[in-house]
Amino acid sequence: MSKRYVMVHDENKCIGCQACNVACRSENGIPEGVTRLQVRVEGPFGLAPNLHFKYHRVSCQQCEDAPCVKVCPTGAAYVGEDGIVTIDDDKCVGCMYCVAACPYKVRFVNPETKATDKCNFCKDTRLARGEQPACVTVCPTDALTFGDANDPDSEVVRLLNSKISYQDKTHLGTKPRVYRIPTKRGGIQS
Amino acid sequence: MNNIWGDMAQYDPVTWNWIIAIYLFMAGLSAGSILIGIGLRWYSSDEDKKSGKESAILKAAAIISPIAISLGLACLVLDLTKPFHFWLILINYNFESVMALGVLALLAYTPLGIAYALIVLRDELAKCKLGFLLPVAQMLLPFRKAIEVLLFILAIGVGAYTGFLISAMNAYPMLNTAVLPALFLVSGLSAGAAANLVVALLMFNVDSHDKELSKMHGLELPVMATEIMFLFMLFCALYFKGGAAALALASLTTGVWASVFWIGVVGIGFGIPLLSMLMPASTRHTKTAMIVVACSGLTGVLALRHFIIYAGQSYIY
Amino acid sequence: MIKLDRRNFIKGVGAGGASCALATMLPGSLAALENAPLKGVGKEVASICEMCSTRCPISARVVDGKNVFITGNKEAKSFGGKVCARGGAGHSLLYDPQRIVKPLKRVGERGEGKWAEISWDEAYEMMATNLNRIKREHGPEAVAFSSKKGSLSGHFFHLAKAFGSPNTFTHGSLCPGAYVIASKSMFGTKLKRDLSNSKYIINFGHNLYEGINMSETRGMMKAQSEGGAKLVVFEPRFSVVADKADEWHAVRPGTDVAVALALCHVLITDKLYDQTFIDRYVVGFEEFVAEVKAYTPEWAEGITDVKAQDIRRIAHELAAAAPHALVDFGHRATFTTEEFDMRRAIFAANVLIGNIERKGGLYLAKKAKTYNKFAGETVAPKLAKLGVEGMPTPTAKRIDQMDKQYTMVWKNGGVYQSILAATLEAKPYQLRGWVMSRTNPMQTMTDRTKVLAALKKMEFVAVCDVYISETAAYADLILPESTYLERDEEIADKSGKNPAYYVRQRVVETIGDTKPSWLIFKEVGDALGLGKFYPWQNMETLQLAQLSRDDKALRHIKEKGYVSYGKPLMLREASMVAEFSDTYANARTPDEDGTYASALKFKTPSGKIELSSAAVESFAPGRGVIRYRDAPLKRADELYFIQGKVAIHTNGATHNVPILANLMADNAVWIHPVTAGRLGISHGDAIRLTSSVGSETSYALVTPGIRQDTVFAYMGFGSKNKELIRATGKGLHCGNLLPDSTAPVVGMNLHTTGVKVEKV
Repeated sequence: MSKRYVMVHDENKCIGCQACNVACRSENGIPEGVTRLQVRVEGPFGLAPNLHFKYHRVSCQQCEDAPCVKVCPTGAAYVGEDGIVTIDDDKCVGCMYCVAACPYKVRFVNPETKATDKCNFCKDTRLARGEQPACVTVCPTDALTFGDANDPDSEVVRLLNSKISYQDKTHLGTKPRVYRIPTKRGGIQS
Repeated sequence: MNNIWGDMAQYDPVTWNWIIAIYLFMAGLSAGSILIGIGLRWYSSDEDKKSGKESAILKAAAIISPIAISLGLACLVLDLTKPFHFWLILINYNFESVMALGVLALLAYTPLGIAYALIVLRDELAKCKLGFLLPVAQMLLPFRKAIEVLLFILAIGVGAYTGFLISAMNAYPMLNTAVLPALFLVSGLSAGAAANLVVALLMFNVDSHDKELSKMHGLELPVMATEIMFLFMLFCALYFKGGAAALALASLTTGVWASVFWIGVVGIGFGIPLLSMLMPASTRHTKTAMIVVACSGLTGVLALRHFIIYAGQSYIY
Repeated sequence: MIKLDRRNFIKGVGAGGASCALATMLPGSLAALENAPLKGVGKEVASICEMCSTRCPISARVVDGKNVFITGNKEAKSFGGKVCARGGAGHSLLYDPQRIVKPLKRVGERGEGKWAEISWDEAYEMMATNLNRIKREHGPEAVAFSSKKGSLSGHFFHLAKAFGSPNTFTHGSLCPGAYVIASKSMFGTKLKRDLSNSKYIINFGHNLYEGINMSETRGMMKAQSEGGAKLVVFEPRFSVVADKADEWHAVRPGTDVAVALALCHVLITDKLYDQTFIDRYVVGFEEFVAEVKAYTPEWAEGITDVKAQDIRRIAHELAAAAPHALVDFGHRATFTTEEFDMRRAIFAANVLIGNIERKGGLYLAKKAKTYNKFAGETVAPKLAKLGVEGMPTPTAKRIDQMDKQYTMVWKNGGVYQSILAATLEAKPYQLRGWVMSRTNPMQTMTDRTKVLAALKKMEFVAVCDVYISETAAYADLILPESTYLERDEEIADKSGKNPAYYVRQRVVETIGDTKPSWLIFKEVGDALGLGKFYPWQNMETLQLAQLSRDDKALRHIKEKGYVSYGKPLMLREASMVAEFSDTYANARTPDEDGTYASALKFKTPSGKIELSSAAVESFAPGRGVIRYRDAPLKRADELYFIQGKVAIHTNGATHNVPILANLMADNAVWIHPVTAGRLGISHGDAIRLTSSVGSETSYALVTPGIRQDTVFAYMGFGSKNKELIRATGKGLHCGNLLPDSTAPVVGMNLHTTGVKVEKV
C-alpha cells in the first residue's frame, strides 16, 4: 500500500520555542535569511485574564491537491511516490509561479540554488536514513507527530482518530497533510 | 509576543512585481493590437482589400505586436531567478500549468507575429534597410490567410492567457475570478487600439480623419464600457463573496494601490478619454489630441496591470 | 525590521556576507582563518550542551563537514532525546566568523575596541606579571575571580584558591541563588521537583516553557497533557507558561510572597495540612503558625491584586491533590528584595502538604553514596571529589564576608555584585584585579554604569570567553576558550531519583587557536608559579581519577554519554520502595508502612525541616521566622519594569550567535493598551524607559498580556560594544535600567524596578 505521510501539530503541547525551526536549518543546511519552517506565536487574543496565544506552524502543508504542483510549468514541483510534494532543482527555472500560487506562502527561492525551496518532511536527509523529520526529532514537548496515515497502527492515525484536528485553509480544496490539534482556548481559526 | 521566529520577508504575499505587470501589459498590448489590425482588415470594404495596399492601422499593429511580445518575453526571462536556464521551460511541460500552455501559445504566436509583420510590411522593408528579408516575405505571402486566422486565434489566447495565468492562483481572492481573463483581453484591445493609433499617426502619417482610424475610434467607447463593466463585476463578486474576498476591497480605499487605481486606471485611463469626447470635434480630431488621449488610455491599462498584480497579491485567503 | 521585498532579500543575504567582511576586521576572530571544513570526531557523539546553564545531554553529528546536527541524548529518558532552539544552534556558535580564536591584548583605551593578536605564551606572561604584581603589592585578595557556575568553573576556582584569593563569585546572586539558600536553610540541601507526576502545580513565574530546562519542561507538559494536572500561574505578564496554564493570575510584581503566605494561612487555618508529616519531620512549625495567622487571603488581595476567594480556592485544590502536588519554587529569584522569605514561603506550602519524597512533589537527589547504601550493594560507581593536597587557605576575608547575614551565601557563589562597592568605594577593601570566565556582568549584573566604572577602575582585567562579550570588551586580555563542542570535561553528576552521570565530549576537532578553559587555567597556574597544584596532565587522567581508575565504567559512560543507574526511588513512596527492595537482595528493609520514611533525614542542625531556623536567626536577627515585609519596588508615578527569558536566547550569552540573532535580534517592550493609550504610544512606536539609574530606548509592543502598571522586556539585548556585531545596539539593555541592590540574607540583586515610559 502506498504511503501517505502526514504530520500532526498539537497546538496545546507546542510552546513556540523554535527548536524545530533551528533543527530544520541545521539538518537541511538552509541559508541565512530564508526558512522552511517557523512557528509563530500569535496574539494574545481574547480579554484578560482569559487570553490565549495561537501557535501557528508555518511550513509546507504537503497538500494532496497542491496548487504549486498544478501551476509549475516545467514539472519541477512534483508529488513523489511517497506523496511528498518535492522540488527538482534542476528543472526549476525560478518563475516564482509556485511561490505566488501557494496559499500558505511557504515556498521561497533558495539564495544558493536559485531554485524554489520548502519543507519536504526531510525527505532527502532524515527520511532517507529512516529517521523522523528534524523538527519532530527535537520537539521538546512532543508537539509534533509524523507518520504514515495509511498504516492503521501508526501514532498519527491513533492521534487523528482520538483528537479533534483541523487543517489550514481547507476551503481552497488543497487537502493539506499537516493536521493541527487546536488549543483548548480560542477555537479553530483556519 | 515578540517575533522570535525570524525574518518574515519571504512571506510577503506580493511575489510577482512590476516586471510581471509590464509583461502582462505587453502581452495584452501585443494581442490587442494585432486583433484590432486583423479585425479591421476583415471588416474593411472589399475594394480596400483589393487595392493591395496595407492599411496604416494594420501596419502599425504588425510593428507593435511582435515588438511588444518580444519585450514582454524579455521581461519574463529577466524575472526568472535562473534566466540562463530559461530553455528548461521550453523542453519541460506540465500541461496542467497555465504557464506551460502559455509558453506553447507564445511559441507559436511570436514567430507567426513576426512572419505576419514581414508580410504586411513587405513594402516598407526596403525603407528600413531590411530589404534582404523581402524574399522571405514573398515566400510567406501565399500563406497569408492561414497565418492571419491562426494569429488571430492565438492572439485571443494570448490576451486571455495573461488573465488566466494569475486567475489560476486560488490563494488570492481578487485574482481568482472568472472575469479576469476577459477583463485583460478587453483592456488589451483598448491598449492595442491606442497604440495602433499612435504608431499609425506618427510613423505612417495617416490622416486623423482616415476611415480605418475612425472605425477603430468607434470601437473605443464600447471597449471601454465593457472594461468598466468587467471591473465592476470583479469588485461586486468580491463584495458578495464576503470574508477574505471582501477584505480585498480595501485595496480601493487604502494604500498606494488605491491611488494607482483611482488616478491611473479611472482618472487617466477612463476619465481623460471620456472627457475628451466632450471637446468639439475639431479639437478632438487634431493629431495632438488624439495622441494625448491614446497615451492616457495606454497609461490606464498599464496602471490596471500594476493595480491587479500588486493589490491582487496583497490580499490572501 | 527593515521591510525587504523578494528581490532585496536575496541581496540581503549578500549583506550578511558584508557583515562577515566586517568581522574579518576583528582581530583574532574565526573569520580571519580559512574556511576549513569541520572535522568530526565520531559519527555521533554524546555530550553536554552549553548554550545555557541547564546543560542538557545531547547527541551531535557532523553533517557534510559543514554543520553539526544536535539533538538530545536518548539515553537520558526524562530529556526524551530532545533539544531546544539554543541547543540546536550550537554549530552556529562553533562556526561563527565573529568567534574569537586567538588570545587578544587590548592596545587602545579600555573599551575602545582596539585589539592585537598575541600568542598563548604572551597571554600567560601577561597574566603572571599582572596578577603576581597585584599579589605582591596588595595581597592575593585584591584579585576577584568570577565565573558562570558549573562545568569547568571548578578549575577556575582552583586557580583562585591556589593563587590565594578568597574572592570567588558565581552568577548565583544574579539569578538562581535565593531558592538555593532558602532550600538549604530549611532542608539543608537543594530539592528537586517531580513535575511529571504532579496533579496540581502552582507556578510563580517559573517560565519553564521559555526558559527551557528540558527534563522539567517535558515533565510539566507531560503532567498537563497526560496526567491531567492543573496548572495555576501567578505572573505579571502573560507568558507561554501562563498561556498553557488553567488559570493565570496577573500578580503585582514582587508580591508573590504574600500569595504564598496566604496559601499557607489557608492550609493551616482550614486544617488542610499534613499533621503527621509536620510532627515527624518539621521543627519551628508553631512559630510559623503564629506568624502566618495575620496573612489572610483578604490581606494578600490588597497587596497582590489576586482575589482572596481565588487564593482560598487554590489552597483547597492544592490540598485536595496533595501529596501529588507542588508549589514550584522557581529558578530566577530576583523579583523582590524579600526573595529569602518569598522562596521560603513557597517551600513552606510544600512542607505543609507533605509532598516531600512523594510522587509529584519535591525530593532529594539520590546520589551514588546514598543510593548504594539503601541498596546494600554498589549499584552506581561513586564519583570521587578530587582535591589537591596542601592547597593554601586564604588569609583575608571575602569582600562579602563583612556582613554576617550573608553567611550562607559565602559558600554558595558569594554576593557577586559586592565587587562593585569593593572596587569603587574600597568597601571593605580595594579590589584591583578581576579575572572572569564565561560570565558577562555588563549584561547580567544590575546597574551597568557601575559595572562599567568598576571595570575601568581595575588595574587588570582578564576574560576567558568565546566572544568579545560586553564585559570582555573592557578587558586587558581575552583568553579564547574552545566551545563546548570542542571540549572534553570531567564526568558530571546528574542524579535525580536515582544516580546518573553524564559527560561532555568533543564533537569536532578544535577550530583555530583556542583551548578548553581547564587547560587555560592550568597553564595560567604554571605561569603564576603554582604548577605544583596541578598534578594532572589531561582530562582523561581526571576522569579516571573520578571513577577511582575504573576504566570500564569510564568507557561505558563515554560511550553512552549519559548513564542512569538503578531504579527511581522516593523514600516515602511505597510502590517505589517495594520495587527497589525487590530488586536489590540486600536492600534496606522497608518500614511497616512499606516506605523508607524512617530514613528521611535532613542536613540541617536539627536533622529536620526547619520551617523556622535558629541558625538563620543567629546570623540574621529577625529572619529566623518567615515573615512578610513590605518591599517598595517603584515610586507611585512609575511603572514596574520586569524581565524574563525567551526560548531562543540565554541572558547575556547567545545574542550574537548567528542563527539565534537571526531569529530574534531585539526586545520590543510589552505595554498594556490602556497604559499605552494614556501615554500616547502606539504599537511599534519608539519609546524611552527611564529608571533611577539609566535610560534606554526600544519599541512598544502593545499587548493585553501585561498588567497596566507594568512593562516587560526579554533580557540580554542591547549590548553596547561594537565587537558583538549582530547584537550591538539592538533593543533595550535591561542591566542599564536596574539599580544596584542586594537582598537580605540571600544576597540577590534585584530585577524589578520603577521606570517612566515616554514616546520618543
